[in-house]
Amino acid sequence: MIINHPLLGPRDAAEFVVLGDACLIDRPDGMNAASEEMHDYAYVRDNPAGEHRELWYHEQGDRSWLVVTRSTLTHDVIKVELARDVARARGRSR
Amino acid sequence: MDEISLEAAPVLGGASLELSGNRIVERDDLAIVSIATPLGGEDALTEALRNEWPLDVPEPTRSSLSGEVRAVRTAPDQMMLIFPHATPDAEAVVQERLGGTGYTTDQTDGWIVLEVAGPDTLSALERICPLDLPSFEIGGTGRTVMEHMGAMAVRTGEDAFLLLSASSSAASFLHAVETSYRYVT
Repeated sequence: MIINHPLLGPRDAAEFVVLGDACLIDRPDGMNAASEEMHDYAYVRDNPAGEHRELWYHEQGDRSWLVVTRSTLTHDVIKVELARDVARARGRSR
Repeated sequence: MDEISLEAAPVLGGASLELSGNRIVERDDLAIVSIATPLGGEDALTEALRNEWPLDVPEPTRSSLSGEVRAVRTAPDQMMLIFPHATPDAEAVVQERLGGTGYTTDQTDGWIVLEVAGPDTLSALERICPLDLPSFEIGGTGRTVMEHMGAMAVRTGEDAFLLLSASSSAASFLHAVETSYRYVT
């Protein structure tokens, strides 16, 4: 599988580590969230057949975190964004 | 008590190989200092580099060169300065010139640098390097894995590259590069 890195261009998936569902970006505020909410954040994942957003880490490259949108049915990589751009677009400071 | 005096030894013993017109040389004379950009401090760092060396902040996949000082882009907010330097104070020297506009870390002892050159270089490297090296412009750079070892490549000429890898596995890296050359020569 080739991941088209937004800064570096096409790179082999072997350079990356996959960290799972991109919903990990939306961690609830641990000081205020209900335990139910924290439980769901830590343990409950969707398992879609089709388009899926995942966090990938370019460990053997520029060490950037990416949000990769890909199809679990065809392995097509549909979209690749820097995770920090995604987080900033949601109002996070960095 | 006797005076003890120690002399630094090159990691690979100053390796220098000649393989059918190709050269693999350990560059023991180079210091490596990484510079990380402070959040929101891009402009100040760009100006400091331009005034002091003068060096441009390299774009991703690129490096910039001023005399013998090379800045290699390694990450969205990080670059490495690679330059000849004899004494073990490279980080302090760079930091003094930057005047606090970047976060510096001395990486000299963490890496070995191999200078590889010669007509069979591209065919030797394409066997162990997943990057598309023939498409690199001069000065192009990338970080990847070669033979399971993290490595960085910088194209310094048509048939010449600097290869950086961890000093802890330096001998294995040299072996991998040398073996690959032997397959094609």
